[in-house]
Amino acid sequence: MTVPAQSTIGSPATIVADYFGQAIDELESWKAKFSADLAAARARGPVTTDTLDALVAPYALRTFDALELPVYGSGFIAALDSLADASSHLAWWQGADRAQLVLAAQSVNKEAIDYSELEWYRVPHQTGEAHVAGPYVDYLCSDEYTITIASPVFLDGEFVGVAGLDLLIDQVERDLLPVLAPLGDDLSIVNGVGRVLLSTSPHRETGDSIRGAELASLTRTACPGMALDVVAG
Amino acid sequence: MGTIAEPERRSTLPSEIGQNGEMPPRSSAHRHGRPARLLSAVFHPIGDEGRASLVERRIADAIRGGVLHAGEKLPSEHDLAQTFGVAPATVREALLSLRSRGLLVTRRGRGGGSFVADSADPMAFTTEALRSTTRVSLRDAATHYLAITRACVELAARRADPSEVELIRARVHRAHGGDLRMWRRIVDDAVIELAALSQSARLTREQMRLQAELSPFFALVDQDEREQKRRLDALDSILDAVADADPGRAGDLVAEAVAHDVTWLIDHRATLEAQ
Repeated sequence: MTVPAQSTIGSPATIVADYFGQAIDELESWKAKFSADLAAARARGPVTTDTLDALVAPYALRTFDALELPVYGSGFIAALDSLADASSHLAWWQGADRAQLVLAAQSVNKEAIDYSELEWYRVPHQTGEAHVAGPYVDYLCSDEYTITIASPVFLDGEFVGVAGLDLLIDQVERDLLPVLAPLGDDLSIVNGVGRVLLSTSPHRETGDSIRGAELASLTRTACPGMALDVVAG
Repeated sequence: MGTIAEPERRSTLPSEIGQNGEMPPRSSAHRHGRPARLLSAVFHPIGDEGRASLVERRIADAIRGGVLHAGEKLPSEHDLAQTFGVAPATVREALLSLRSRGLLVTRRGRGGGSFVADSADPMAFTTEALRSTTRVSLRDAATHYLAITRACVELAARRADPSEVELIRARVHRAHGGDLRMWRRIVDDAVIELAALSQSARLTREQMRLQAELSPFFALVDQDEREQKRRLDALDSILDAVADADPGRAGDLVAEAVAHDVTWLIDHRATLEAQ
């Protein structure tokens, strides 16, 4: 049973929606300007990975400081087969030193990375909308337990890639749990497949799944603007 | 402490990052999916002492493991120096040694540089590694691999959504029938994706490290197309068990699969020894 989110400030679903909503808003805003830059580059000719890196860098780097969220990584992942010199490319910056992710495969033997089925690429591509993906073990970029917020970029109706940022679950727990705990000791944030992102309950761990009949029996409140719910019980 | 690929060479140098279970520091030389995971273990900063040997060993391992392919061009000395965090002279020293070992060749002029020797054949290197390792080493490596992989798969059975499992299955089936290198890459990717469904970052990282170490040996097995089919069927059964949320069955199937590979490798090793 899903009820619309309460508009009361301080309700769990609103707190969660506000938290991740900041990330979505930030991506949407840089996406708009970045799209114009990318469109201009495409008008000049086929875009290479180096060109893309140079275009993305200022936006990605700005993201770390633009938000009060603990952004671990940020950048743009090109649509497969959309660039001149590689069939895949991640223009990504991450870590405390905000270093550019140098994927050895990208620089050495140009083997394609097929990220087409990863949630943070697949869902925004399919839905055309921003998505909060995870929690998942990110063996591609961060090597950590991660939440990736991603927003698709379209130019003249053509999908050209996703703009994204990573939050580590560890940091998200530090931010959200103290705020949610006073509101109840049985509250869990779950994603579209019933996976627990965070829970104030000692009986539910991040990463566990609440499925089927059990999930249906709990009170669910949608977090507006994203495929996350807060369940009680 | 070496891997079963290098049982005789004991490193007296300070811990090689990625070689003895320590996780590489977060750095700008980073990683990605299957081959690049192996590659990234190649291309990230090396510590202070014995740098030339470490650079040499890092590249040699990558060539032996098939991560750097025959005929492939290496990044420039300058780029290598930067990625490894060492002086260009150190890189030069390492490349010279690799050249004298026949693993690299140099071409001058336009488009010149250092290239992996055309004769570099990962199968040959792995066969040699198998021949020169011991049964006890092989078994222990398999025991380690099984413990971690089984733990990941059992957790995945408890925590994965069937839709996530089906994505892995579809990808594996699409790949079957391709060349050996492509096949191994897809299988390795699938195993890592499955491990990641455990939701444990630690176990997944450990599993990836072990997968990288043992995959060349599994590739020896998969030279036989019947073995590829066997592996596909085994993977399907494991995915079924995970989708059915049956950790016991999933774990047992992983154990069966590893036991099969180890038996094959030990038998093959005996054959090699007898030659």
